[in-house]
Amino acid sequence: MEREVLLEVKDLDVTYGGRKKKFHAVKKVNFKIYRGETFGLVGESGSGKTTIGRAIMRIVPSSGGEILYKGEKINGKISKELDRRVIKEIQMIFQDPQASLNERAKVDEIISEGLMNIEKGLGREERKERVEQAILDVGLLPEFASRFPHEFSGGQRQRIGIARALIMNPEFIIADEPISALDVSVRAQVLNLLSDMQKKRQITYLFIAHDLSVMRFITDRIAVIHKGRIVEMGETEELIRHAIHPYTRALLSAIPMPDPKHEREKKLLVYDPDMHDYSTGEPEWRELRPGHFVLADEKEAKEWL
Amino acid sequence: MADKILTAKELEIQFKLRGKTLNAIRGVSLDLYKGEILAIVGESGSGKSVFTKSFMGLLDRNGRVAGGRILYYGRDGEEPLDLATVKREKEWYKIRGHEIAMIMQDPMTSLNPLKTIGKQIMEAVLLHQDVNRAEAKKRTLKYLEDVGIQDVARRFSQYPHEFSGGMRQRVVIAIAIACAPKILICDEPTTALDVTIQAQILDLLKELRHKYSLSIILITHDLGVVANIADRVAVMYAGDIIEIGTSEDIFYDPKHPYTQALLSSLPQIGVKGTDLFSIPGTPPNLFTEIRGDAFAPRNPKALKIDFLKTPPYFQVSPTHKAKTWLLDPRAPKVEPPAVVEKIRNGGLF
Repeated sequence: MEREVLLEVKDLDVTYGGRKKKFHAVKKVNFKIYRGETFGLVGESGSGKTTIGRAIMRIVPSSGGEILYKGEKINGKISKELDRRVIKEIQMIFQDPQASLNERAKVDEIISEGLMNIEKGLGREERKERVEQAILDVGLLPEFASRFPHEFSGGQRQRIGIARALIMNPEFIIADEPISALDVSVRAQVLNLLSDMQKKRQITYLFIAHDLSVMRFITDRIAVIHKGRIVEMGETEELIRHAIHPYTRALLSAIPMPDPKHEREKKLLVYDPDMHDYSTGEPEWRELRPGHFVLADEKEAKEWL
Repeated sequence: MADKILTAKELEIQFKLRGKTLNAIRGVSLDLYKGEILAIVGESGSGKSVFTKSFMGLLDRNGRVAGGRILYYGRDGEEPLDLATVKREKEWYKIRGHEIAMIMQDPMTSLNPLKTIGKQIMEAVLLHQDVNRAEAKKRTLKYLEDVGIQDVARRFSQYPHEFSGGMRQRVVIAIAIACAPKILICDEPTTALDVTIQAQILDLLKELRHKYSLSIILITHDLGVVANIADRVAVMYAGDIIEIGTSEDIFYDPKHPYTQALLSSLPQIGVKGTDLFSIPGTPPNLFTEIRGDAFAPRNPKALKIDFLKTPPYFQVSPTHKAKTWLLDPRAPKVEPPAVVEKIRNGGLF
């Protein structure tokens, strides 16, 4: 069965800075996200993972390539109708619930702001109802609507952030490190909430994180990104069990596991980008195992397998 | 077992907030041994930071040690010093850095952005070691090398913004080491760092503890980090240490329901497609008096007595004890949760 591609990123380039100090944050990135799946983008700080999320949200302009949503190009100049549709259908959840909520607005205003911008004719009663429903959906109490963000804990604030996204009835949510600022026990609650929402509403997720162990729990497929380039991509279990690219393997070896014996005996792999000798030819995308792609040149492809 | 370097005895810490009293630390006793790495784990608000801050006289103004003692054995040939009785800032100056040093979570906020890192480390050397400037510089370069910074002569005259996050944390560690402390308190030292960098910093700490014969207290909420580095683990909940033991004790044989719940909620343990275990409810309000086991209201399998009487420590083995009525001989037998078996079998990744 052919799955529907919801979002496709084609040869995406993003650069920051002017002519003199140009910085290439994202280099020729390609991936597809299918409807209903959770696609993970893993990388370290500075890898460009957040930039890709922001480029899809159109917060940063792309400097090359295409972003196709339901087959339509959404980067660059687009029509007004498409713009409104994209704003409604693609939502984002941010990392830091302390920083991403307006301190001076009541929860009710925070959650309904996007809705009011898109559905201008919405009546007061209906707006109140929709906000209440969104608050209940994320497991908070309706009376929270009249309070301010500082009255809530980190986990509750993150739920408010999720409610703000859900009220738009989005089809696609970009979650940028949604749990890394939270306590261990609260992380589990927020992850469960996100996967509940997916089951109930068939939401598609792009999940951006640096932590492969969380990724393993929540994603269907993963792309590993290093210095603006995707180096490996595949189904989650396949990629974790049979990691091929040395960078992915280094990332995996660095994850601390709650097992003292394993930790004491483990060997830390260190990735040195200078190990690649691409003087004879640029590396290419190669399918080294079924559905499992790695950025490598011909010699490496042979060595790594 | 090795000698003690620090002992907290029945320590109580209170904060005054809007006319009310918050009992942040409720009668905690703990021994820190020479040369060990002891991890203190707990959620935010459990009191882990407050507890260790009291060792350095760094409590906020509205906080005070309300009872108990903190005995420091680091001054050779002298009577142990009770840190709970130190009041004057002048006395603390002799303790902070020189006896007990601290590394914070965010290396950017602990460094002065306007001074070169060489100057900042040298400052610590000159303050805490009896040497002249030339010798101080020599030592500073050596410390930089010891914390794994390359090309030290050039790096010496650079500013914090020229360093990456991991390198900055190394500089902060170098400053701590330059004070020549006996105890190093690391408060979430790797939380702001990438996993690969985190692994390197943990390795560095392990190496330095031998080189400089340090006793390390590591405060963290990341149980993976704990498994990697700690000799012993203390689990803190609502201002009390509810279980303490070696890493093996805590990860392979956790006894307190809270420790078990913490382990169960780790995403590393999760199976895709099923819900991750999450602890219901919220931690108790520390403004009110806590009766019984503080975790009981969140523990679906709590016993009746958990709500009535605070459990004492039950000794599980010479190295392992926990405050839970489940260890009382009269308690019903409760099977450990599935997560324990999973960790023991090493079937995580």
